Amino acid sequence: MQRRIPLIIVLLTGIFGAVAFFVPYPAIRNADEIMRNDVQRIITAFSLVLGVGSIVQHHLLKIRRKAQFWPYSYITIVALVITAIIGVFGGIDVTRPGVLPTRVGNFSFHIQTIYSNMMVPLAATMFSLLAFFMSSAAYRAFRARNLEATLLLLAAFILMLGAVPLGRFIHHRLPAFAEWILAVPNTASKRGILFGVELGIFATSLKIILGIERGWLGGGGK
Amino acid sequence: MNISTDPWVWIAAILTLAIFSFLYKENPLYRFAEHLYVGIANGYAITFYWHRVLVPSFFDRVGAASTPIATKIWLIVIAVIGALYFTRFIPKVSWLVRIPIAIVLGYACGASIPRAIDAEIIRQAKATIITRASFAHWQTGLWAVIILLGVIATISYFFFSSERKGVLKPLSYAGIIFIMIGFGASFGYTVMARISLFIGRLQFLLGDWLGLIK
Amino acid sequence: MEKENILIRLQRIDRRWIYLVLWLVVMIPLIFPFKIQPQPTPSVEKLFNYIDTMPENKALAISVDFTPDTRAELQPMVVALLRHAFATQHRVGILTVQVYGLGLAEEAIRQVTAEFNANANTRADSVIYGEDYVFWGWTTPVLTVMLGMGERITNVFPIDYYGNRTETLPIMQHIKNYDDIGILVTIAASAIPRSWINYAQTQFGVNLSCGITAVSAADFYPYVNSGQFIGMLAGMKGAAEYEQLVRERMVKNGMEWVLRNRGTEAMSSQTAAHLAIMAFIVIGNIAFFATRRKRK
Repeated sequence: MQRRIPLIIVLLTGIFGAVAFFVPYPAIRNADEIMRNDVQRIITAFSLVLGVGSIVQHHLLKIRRKAQFWPYSYITIVALVITAIIGVFGGIDVTRPGVLPTRVGNFSFHIQTIYSNMMVPLAATMFSLLAFFMSSAAYRAFRARNLEATLLLLAAFILMLGAVPLGRFIHHRLPAFAEWILAVPNTASKRGILFGVELGIFATSLKIILGIERGWLGGGGK
Repeated sequence: MNISTDPWVWIAAILTLAIFSFLYKENPLYRFAEHLYVGIANGYAITFYWHRVLVPSFFDRVGAASTPIATKIWLIVIAVIGALYFTRFIPKVSWLVRIPIAIVLGYACGASIPRAIDAEIIRQAKATIITRASFAHWQTGLWAVIILLGVIATISYFFFSSERKGVLKPLSYAGIIFIMIGFGASFGYTVMARISLFIGRLQFLLGDWLGLIK
Repeated sequence: MEKENILIRLQRIDRRWIYLVLWLVVMIPLIFPFKIQPQPTPSVEKLFNYIDTMPENKALAISVDFTPDTRAELQPMVVALLRHAFATQHRVGILTVQVYGLGLAEEAIRQVTAEFNANANTRADSVIYGEDYVFWGWTTPVLTVMLGMGERITNVFPIDYYGNRTETLPIMQHIKNYDDIGILVTIAASAIPRSWINYAQTQFGVNLSCGITAVSAADFYPYVNSGQFIGMLAGMKGAAEYEQLVRERMVKNGMEWVLRNRGTEAMSSQTAAHLAIMAFIVIGNIAFFATRRKRK
């Protein structure tokens, strides 16, 4: 039962999802609209529980076990709770404050202020570190060992030069050549790969609906 | 130089530098910023899942006097199914989490199959086929021929069901040439992307914070 | 011997020296930029021309489908698109299918509407919320948004980002579903533009284009080639090129305002950094092959 019920549901909802595309009857269209606007929306909203719950559980466990760097777990939990309280009770629109005031004198701690001045710099800087790791990797690992690697390197060089305004000072047709690489040979190779990927996704989707692919059920249960 | 006096700009600058400190070596300041980020990101998501999904789609409608009783019951049933996500943390009944997952996953798979075949296979195949219109200009015709050959060559490179001999051998070799040019193009653009992200942070530090950019 | 030592040392150089070089190479041109003007590529021009010549009764929809990590290269696109739409007096609908895209969309809207309203003398020059533009906000999952918008947008977004009931906004009388949208531009750093093609375009035939992080840009050329996307903006370069076209358009409209163009501003540093990365690769290869030959 623990596996059979979910497998039956996935089969039925899968068939419905596909049928709704082909069948133009108003009854099916209405059912599909209810499926999207009510069922999918409300259930997906609850899925946040999985993400937030897992993070909180992970950090509470770290604190309980006094694992490496456990005091930092308090920072995650406290930041999560404070941000959620400010967001949920402080309101979204600055002109329509919620039950919780988000301004003390001239100092605002509205959810958008926290987002723009804490979340954005943290996320953007975290990802900008990749520029450094990539340049280090380019220096150490990018070797023209054979014809294929040399071709890759050449295409990359042309793209790098063609992508910036300097390219046209080196040769007036270089940016156009870079664009040609993207629009012709690159398109050909990416499209070839795309066919394979899409057929793979199609096969996996079908296997999930038919209950052949059961990885999503996780372990346990009968 | 025109340094910002906004305390929030200073907070953003300090957090930016805290993350950059990782470039020297892993340190407590970086760890603090990293943990702070995870917390804030989750808190932000909770805010909008609450205000912009659960409240308008569920609580407002269930609470409204104008909503028919049958609709209210229907919405409550859906919410109960959604709440089964909580069972993931109750070992004895954790299997129940599969029910909301099945509803979302099944519908998404079913909805994607016909549409993806149309958009990603048929439309892409149509764009690869050479027609008389492709030769409106000799250049576009030639590029269309190269794209067709490139697509066939790339696919043949991933064809592992028979030994690479005869026509398959040069074709799959041509495939690897196309693939390498494609990967090279991706790498060139990746460099641009990563550098852009770093430029963005420096635009903030040097411009918004220190006022050095005019 | 001495030469070999240098080559070996070059191969084993501490990564932090490379970091320092990159830092300086990017920082110096930001403070002392050299005059450099991006030249629009055909795919950028195609999108610009499409929006520029779109009938006035058709709206531009912008889906801010990226998160703060790629803000640097994608946010200038949102800003430039908004400026273009307001300059050509098209109605604009803004949405996101990423919860973390909400704040970015809000920042861009606040910036551009402030620019236009600060320079407005008449009602026609100003941009008013609920009449000229609307921020639908975000909801989940993507299927609900992409398929539902083909039927009735107010059903998908019963309330907007600010908490107003969307059916009470005058602009929603003119934007009911995809039929009223001239083009939807998705700005993304993931595979979301593909979902827009699969769900919104396949079923409802809406015109689409995308602004995409450069990492994924090469993967999206097949869709530009097939005509599923009307042009494309690729990375910060694409943003800078679009900024140029919009600036020229605004000047033509008599809007000679001093505006910050973050994409264009970055091009000096971008050029210097590309040269530095190429130099890293060349030096790394020289050191590698020279030491290998010696060893043989």
